[in-house]
Amino acid sequence: MKSLDAWTRPRTAGRPRSIGSMHRLERLINLVAALLHADRPLTADELRNRLPGYAEDHGAFRRAFERDKEALRDLGVPVVLEPVDHAAQPGVVGYRIPKEAYYLKDPGLAPDELAALHLASSAVRLEGASGVAALWKLGGELAEQGPFGGIAGASPAVAALPGTAHLGPVFAAISGRRRIAFSYRGRPRVVDPWRLSFRNGHWYLAGHDHDADEERMFRLDRVESDVEVTGDEGAFDRPPHSGAQPPPWELGAEEALTARLLVDAGQAAWAAAHVGPDAVEEWRPDGSVVLAVRVTNRDAFRSFVLGFLDHAEVLGPPELRVDMVEWLERLCRS
Amino acid sequence: MPKLSADERLQRLLALIPWVASRDGPPVDDVCARFGCTQSELVADLELLFLCGLHPYTPDVLIDVDIADGRVWIRYAEYFARPLRLTPAEGLALLAAGRTVLATSGGDDGGPLERGLAKLAAAMGVDAGEAVEIELGPVAEDLLSTLRNAAVASRQVEIDYYSFGRDERARRVVDPYAVFSAGGQWYVSGWCHRVDDERLFRVDRIAAATPLSSGFEPRDAPPELVAYRPDAADPRVTLELDPSARWVTEQYPVEKVEEVDGGRLRVTLAASQPAWLERLLLRLGPQATVVGSDGGVASDAARRLLARYRG
Repeated sequence: MKSLDAWTRPRTAGRPRSIGSMHRLERLINLVAALLHADRPLTADELRNRLPGYAEDHGAFRRAFERDKEALRDLGVPVVLEPVDHAAQPGVVGYRIPKEAYYLKDPGLAPDELAALHLASSAVRLEGASGVAALWKLGGELAEQGPFGGIAGASPAVAALPGTAHLGPVFAAISGRRRIAFSYRGRPRVVDPWRLSFRNGHWYLAGHDHDADEERMFRLDRVESDVEVTGDEGAFDRPPHSGAQPPPWELGAEEALTARLLVDAGQAAWAAAHVGPDAVEEWRPDGSVVLAVRVTNRDAFRSFVLGFLDHAEVLGPPELRVDMVEWLERLCRS
Repeated sequence: MPKLSADERLQRLLALIPWVASRDGPPVDDVCARFGCTQSELVADLELLFLCGLHPYTPDVLIDVDIADGRVWIRYAEYFARPLRLTPAEGLALLAAGRTVLATSGGDDGGPLERGLAKLAAAMGVDAGEAVEIELGPVAEDLLSTLRNAAVASRQVEIDYYSFGRDERARRVVDPYAVFSAGGQWYVSGWCHRVDDERLFRVDRIAAATPLSSGFEPRDAPPELVAYRPDAADPRVTLELDPSARWVTEQYPVEKVEEVDGGRLRVTLAASQPAWLERLLLRLGPQATVVGSDGGVASDAARRLLARYRG
């Protein structure tokens, strides 16, 4: 390792240096500096002439420049192409990095807040996205790393959230309140995106579906096309979110019934925790429980009950009990 | 630490420059710790930065870098006054991580994480709670913390566990390696002394966990965070599904999908555990037919359930 005392001033090396010795990283830094500092768009020719490290040859320069632009855009650097001067040089375009689009708006995080975010980001992994680069931008990593990337002395609990390619663009549209279009279940959709929800192991987008003219949930891994931004920023208002999502057996428009469900002792605690303590009608001496469950989707309710196999029984009302018996009888004949 | 590419080094430098430049000579050690690099990596990056600046690259328009007495200064880089803004994916990664921790710990009630998330979300033009909502499997907090503490301390636990796949409840002594959430459920992975093999337990199926005084040798390998991986030796079942039962292909790891007549699908799944297959067939009902024979799994199970209603 190089000792810090051996730090020498390479500036005396004398420039301009040959292209071969120019490190790509150096060229990229100079490119960002030039585009960020410029008060007007710089043409490709100007960049080639000004920046050390680009080839004289037009074709070679183009290839290198395209690759650099791509690398910067991948990092999220907003490189824009604009007319240089409408009046004096019509048709001539150049490149620029608008400061207001580049600079991070300082969220003003206190050290303990940054440390808490760091702790969270090392405990939770979102597939395909890294929190590390974000933490660098916010002032670096603060907490000490423990085993498995967790935090020493704190909980080693790690959560993995699956990712999909649509998460980034959809989240950008949510934060910009921009209308988006995509294909879903074979149909094109136009949606005002409101919210991302992760539940049952999947990411969902909630928003206003313009075709259906009502709120819809879209499972992101079922989106069949790219997500295309079609509207301007601030195109709609997000309605306030009501909060908890109803269980599957309440996701339906059927006439509401209150089902009475008996669950045997072995499964009783799990069932009660799952439907919520408010639904408990009676704990029986043998440890079983009777739950009162509001049902507006009978298929989903039957599916839930069948998950208990022969450790549960629909006590009533009669029509739900009959529905279950008929379903099972059909299976016996099959 | 793996060697970073030029693009990753650029990403780090664009964050590091404003941080150092806005301070009066922070310690090199601090910079290295914050930005996850060694001293030699930092020096290598700064040596390059020292050659950078603006046209015409004369000393007066170059970035000035100084390292002395274990401290570092960066000057004349005003255009790098602020870090690059967060990309949507980076912002989402942080918000989702924070919301996940809040969802599993019951919130920190106006504590640093909630405050940090609110500020971060506001900078991105959203409300943290409104824009990103995370629901992991419903588990009791005290159960989760008992298991986590045991995993951290390498202590054995005795669990009262309901095996969903075998439809059977039993007490097991387990060496808990890791507690994690994957696919929207909480799991504890560990060595099960009842079967003398490594097993994965769903935390919501654990009725009770008792910490034991006996310890175990922790494993070196990090947990894989994978919920279920079919085994080549597991029996396979082939089903023909109505179009209305297509969800099966999205919910379960199907190994083969074939389109047959009229939009029906023929799928093959690993069915290692009989109770799992019973549930699937009971739920699908007339929407699925088993190709070949299921040995009467569905009708036997249906008869067993019916007995309760005819009792």
